[in-house]
Amino acid sequence: MVDLSQYLPILIFLAIALAMSAAFVFLPMGVSRLTGTHNPTANKLTEYECGFPAFEDSRSQFDVRFYLVAILFIIFDLEAAFLFPWAVSLDLTGWAGWVTMMIFLFELIIGFAYAWKTGALEWE
Amino acid sequence: MIQAIAFYMFAVLLIAAGTLTIMSRNPVHSVLWLIVSFFNAAGLMVLVGAEFIAMLLVIVYVGAVAVLFLFVVMMLNIDFAELRAGFMKNFPLGIAIALVLLAELILGIGAYGAGVLELGTPDGSAAPLLGRSNIENIGALLYSDYLFLFEAAGLILLVAMVGAIVLTHRERATAHRGHQDIGKQNRRRPEDATVNTRPEVGKGVQL
Amino acid sequence: MIGIEHYLVVSAVLFVLGVLGIFLNRKNIIVILMAIELILLSVNINLVAFSAFLGDLTGQIFAMFVLTVAAGEAAIGLAILVIYFRQRGTIAVDDVNRMKG
Repeated sequence: MVDLSQYLPILIFLAIALAMSAAFVFLPMGVSRLTGTHNPTANKLTEYECGFPAFEDSRSQFDVRFYLVAILFIIFDLEAAFLFPWAVSLDLTGWAGWVTMMIFLFELIIGFAYAWKTGALEWE
Repeated sequence: MIQAIAFYMFAVLLIAAGTLTIMSRNPVHSVLWLIVSFFNAAGLMVLVGAEFIAMLLVIVYVGAVAVLFLFVVMMLNIDFAELRAGFMKNFPLGIAIALVLLAELILGIGAYGAGVLELGTPDGSAAPLLGRSNIENIGALLYSDYLFLFEAAGLILLVAMVGAIVLTHRERATAHRGHQDIGKQNRRRPEDATVNTRPEVGKGVQL
Repeated sequence: MIGIEHYLVVSAVLFVLGVLGIFLNRKNIIVILMAIELILLSVNINLVAFSAFLGDLTGQIFAMFVLTVAAGEAAIGLAILVIYFRQRGTIAVDDVNRMKG
């Protein structure tokens, strides 16, 4: 089976993080219940915005321009992901692997030039 | 032992998060549950030694795709209660289809478990080249045997990028004033832009 | 001991959940796209599990390509969704057939 002992520190880290965050959330709740200060009233439970009831939904609308930036990020993120195995195995793949990656990068540079030319990267 | 515990934890969390993804009332919660299920799937893949795919899942899916979904959910101000209207109407049909599919799948897996096929056990690195890490083996295989598929993947990325730009990019409302061309501004000399005249008294200037 | 059957069952359940999500949220195309992502994730789990248990890395290579296609699909699908919303002000997919032309 796979050697998972390298992941033991990550597991310990996750367990500690989980325990501490759970403690920070649930300990005050439990303490307030046990000591009797837990006394919710209708006014305490309303959302508070400078003394007024909230005017609108707290979720506001984003601009569409974020979408284009996110999409370009996905594409270049995947490109970078393909670079990782290429970089560590270059001694095994040799020139063929190198040329392939250069063609791949060229394809994406065409896309990048197109994005630049159409002004998709501009932010005014 | 600890591996079995980890597997069951990841599997249960994955299925629970997947269920909540499709059942949530609020699409923002759906996206967040989707992120949880991606993390758990990455954990499952680490357990069988596919470390690079697990890393890709976290980087690409959680870091990019889920964020894209979140952007779209936040960008479109939608009345989601209206969209939920058909939920209960479709529920019996959906459950029926899901049961049929699940029955088929369990039957298939049951037949499989009866021992018709014999599979090996995982050898850890799943390696044609022993003694190397998972990512190195993937690179050696991807950039030797699957060169053309890799280039096709690059073309898919290019098409996706160009398509998304063509579909969503539009000129700004300020575009009618024209773009600022700094080179043109700098090339303009005072003698092109201004003219000295010496008008006589009582007469105007003809430009 | 965790065998390949365990992985296949998890992947099958996830696949069914994805199909169920498409049927349950017929009007909300964002959740439909998320359900498609779940289906592709179950396919990836299948590919990786077989790859690991057979000792053949090809499955993991194909999981990478599935990931690439899934990213492209999400990008283009959401782009279509964005322009559709911009035209109509809603994302109800019942009358999308009016989009042609």
